[in-house]
Amino acid sequence: MRLEIANFPVTDVIFGEKTSYQDGLLSINKDEALAIIREDEHITSADLVIARPGENKRIVPVKEAIEPRYKIADLPVFPGVTDRVATVGTGRTVALKGTAVLAVGEHWGSFGDGLIDMSGAGADYTYFSNLINICLVADTDEEFERLEQQKKNHALRWAAHQLAKYLGAVVKDLEPGIENLEVYELPPITKRTKEVNDLPSVVFVMQAQSQMEEMGYNDLVYGWDMNHFVPTLMHPNEILDGAIISGSFMPCSSKWSTYDFQNCPIIKGLYQEHGKTLNFLGIILSNLNVNLEQKQRSALFVAQIAQSLGADGAILAEEGYGNPDADFIECFVALEDAGVKTVGVTNECTGRDGRSQPLVTLDEKADAIVSCGNVSELIELPPMEVVIGELQSLTRDGLSGGWADDEKLGPSVKADGSIILENNSMFCGDQVLGWSPKTVKEF
Amino acid sequence: MVTKDSERILSEGGVEMKKAILYINQFFAGIGGEEQADHVPEIREGLVGPAILLNQLLDAEITHTIICGDNFIGSREAEAVEIILGFLAERKFDLFFAGPAFQAGRYGNACGVIGRAVQARFAVPAISSMNKENPGVEMFKKDIYIFPGGKSAAKMRDDMKKMAEFGNKLLKGEQTGFAENEGYYGRGIRHQVWLKNAKPAAERAIAMLLKKLHGEEFQTELPIPKIDQVPIADPLKDLSKATIALVTSGGIVPVDNPDRIQSASATRWGRYRISGLDKLGNRKQGKFKTIHAGYDPAAGDDDPNRVVPLDALRTYEKEGKIGKVHDYFYSTVGTGTTEAEAARMGREIVAYLHQAGVDAVVLTAT
Repeated sequence: MRLEIANFPVTDVIFGEKTSYQDGLLSINKDEALAIIREDEHITSADLVIARPGENKRIVPVKEAIEPRYKIADLPVFPGVTDRVATVGTGRTVALKGTAVLAVGEHWGSFGDGLIDMSGAGADYTYFSNLINICLVADTDEEFERLEQQKKNHALRWAAHQLAKYLGAVVKDLEPGIENLEVYELPPITKRTKEVNDLPSVVFVMQAQSQMEEMGYNDLVYGWDMNHFVPTLMHPNEILDGAIISGSFMPCSSKWSTYDFQNCPIIKGLYQEHGKTLNFLGIILSNLNVNLEQKQRSALFVAQIAQSLGADGAILAEEGYGNPDADFIECFVALEDAGVKTVGVTNECTGRDGRSQPLVTLDEKADAIVSCGNVSELIELPPMEVVIGELQSLTRDGLSGGWADDEKLGPSVKADGSIILENNSMFCGDQVLGWSPKTVKEF
Repeated sequence: MVTKDSERILSEGGVEMKKAILYINQFFAGIGGEEQADHVPEIREGLVGPAILLNQLLDAEITHTIICGDNFIGSREAEAVEIILGFLAERKFDLFFAGPAFQAGRYGNACGVIGRAVQARFAVPAISSMNKENPGVEMFKKDIYIFPGGKSAAKMRDDMKKMAEFGNKLLKGEQTGFAENEGYYGRGIRHQVWLKNAKPAAERAIAMLLKKLHGEEFQTELPIPKIDQVPIADPLKDLSKATIALVTSGGIVPVDNPDRIQSASATRWGRYRISGLDKLGNRKQGKFKTIHAGYDPAAGDDDPNRVVPLDALRTYEKEGKIGKVHDYFYSTVGTGTTEAEAARMGREIVAYLHQAGVDAVVLTAT
């Protein structure tokens, strides 16, 4: 499978008469873009707002992030989601680099939504403060979940995917500079050279979010709910090319947005090492169901696939904490027992005082872990001049890291617009798919 | 009594000198060895023994030295703590030091007990030093700053220097780093950090995996605590002849809690006679209740047999299914209790069980 990602670096985004891209300047015809959003009759109100790195802006509640992309020639960008089901991971995909489309609630937040500060101390807590964010701020008629803590956020998320594709199409006829062309090619496992085969062979096991029994909240692979899934082998290019979209459930710092899947640093890192220090076999996609037997079944499948492939090593990453820690450790142990040397990547939940057991369950066989953050770290941030979305959502709507009131700390949102929250609500902040510059240390 | 150089105080702009207090045992106070280990707690103005060295190294004045016999605090802990907290009640101090205790177990215990109590009462950081073999490390490293120390007093200067240097950072209000960098034993407190020149997680994971694949040494970022596995005991040969004891960490005690077992982080346990009782009476009847702070007490107070199932065991006894119920049950509280304390209490209880010829135990939690 050979995938070309042609990147078009974006240095600024403005609104203009025509949606166009020239010399790094992305211009958006707002009316035309919003017309696409409004094709979904469930969107009752919508606006586009730009947030650039360094600006005094706070964005909340953020539900999803997507890199604007288009697939030559009009092939599915998000198969089984906004497009028909067809294989992704081959051919050419164009991308507007340095930008993300964000789905932002105009008023209403939910448990899995997060916060992004574009400058100041808060900017350190999320990767997305580094990007020029094209915020789709919208409201919907999804009355059944308006006051629910858990929301599917279907209309907003799907609209953001449509917008990402619309914007990506602006560069479909352009040829990138050679330095901006990424090529991902991995021959079939049995058709590799002796030199490559002699290197230690490695799989990347991705445990994507699937805890909700009701459909509509979990990550989707080719549009299929990850709860109704047993682990399978996938080509890394599929993940990089839109095969998986993010869900709407997990406490936000643990969540993997669609942008994270599209740009997964662990996959890119393994590609870089392929043929030099290791033989990258591919992805074993797994899940995080809550039922114990389902956890055990998934771990067995993962270990069996890794063993059948002859994997010497594995990197294992979980999209979540708490209940999913059981899947993480179960799978870690199953891989080690199958003779596959494993490194886990996860965040921790050690509590605000840092004294709690870091994972719900532990095992001595999990002897190699990269730790990406503590979800329950308390964070205080000053007010921002501009809020995109609605600040009150942090305190009102049951975001995982916010609260309405607290005996000692008061509400998450103060009268002057300053905030106190747990790291839990930093948008995709723990970056377990590989960006995380954070680790956890004992004090 | 040695005082700090007054010129230095002036050169710092007349700011009031910070103050600290040191705790040492009877031996380092020069009072005596084992024969003086019951020495009653006392407080002396100024510098006694190692306090002279600490006073030189620290950017604060050691105003007082507290001295206590290791046996005194070991056997009459609550009394010793009360006396010493009483000494300190009216005094102003910014830091509290204890030790160094080297490899001396009872001295380590004393430093930990008093350091923890002073820190909790006066919200002043407590700093100590112990050799890694000192049991005090495992018992108290989560409560106070303990620096790794030498085996004996030959290392006094080195050990005191580490304590003082860290104390100086705290006095200056400097941001202190994580345990590995500062040198003290980790306190079981884990927080996220941004390291200088940190590599992203993907690079760290791949580098760690390559090392693991090549059998090279690697450093996990989340050390898994060693689990002390206890093998499962052999089955009883004949249950109908066995004496069975009840032991619980569920905090069931007589309503007046005669042994003053703590509701959390317990260090004490009790044994209570149940011979002649068909079941445990409840709180309303003035008999038994739970003092465990880690779960809703309503059900346990209403029927303590749901935590300590004496009623069920009596039935088995009558039916001849088991030989006999042991005449006492044993109780402590499991919530927040350290493994080290739990293991010690377990060993102490087992001594009684062995003596009474108990064959098996029903161990209930909450």
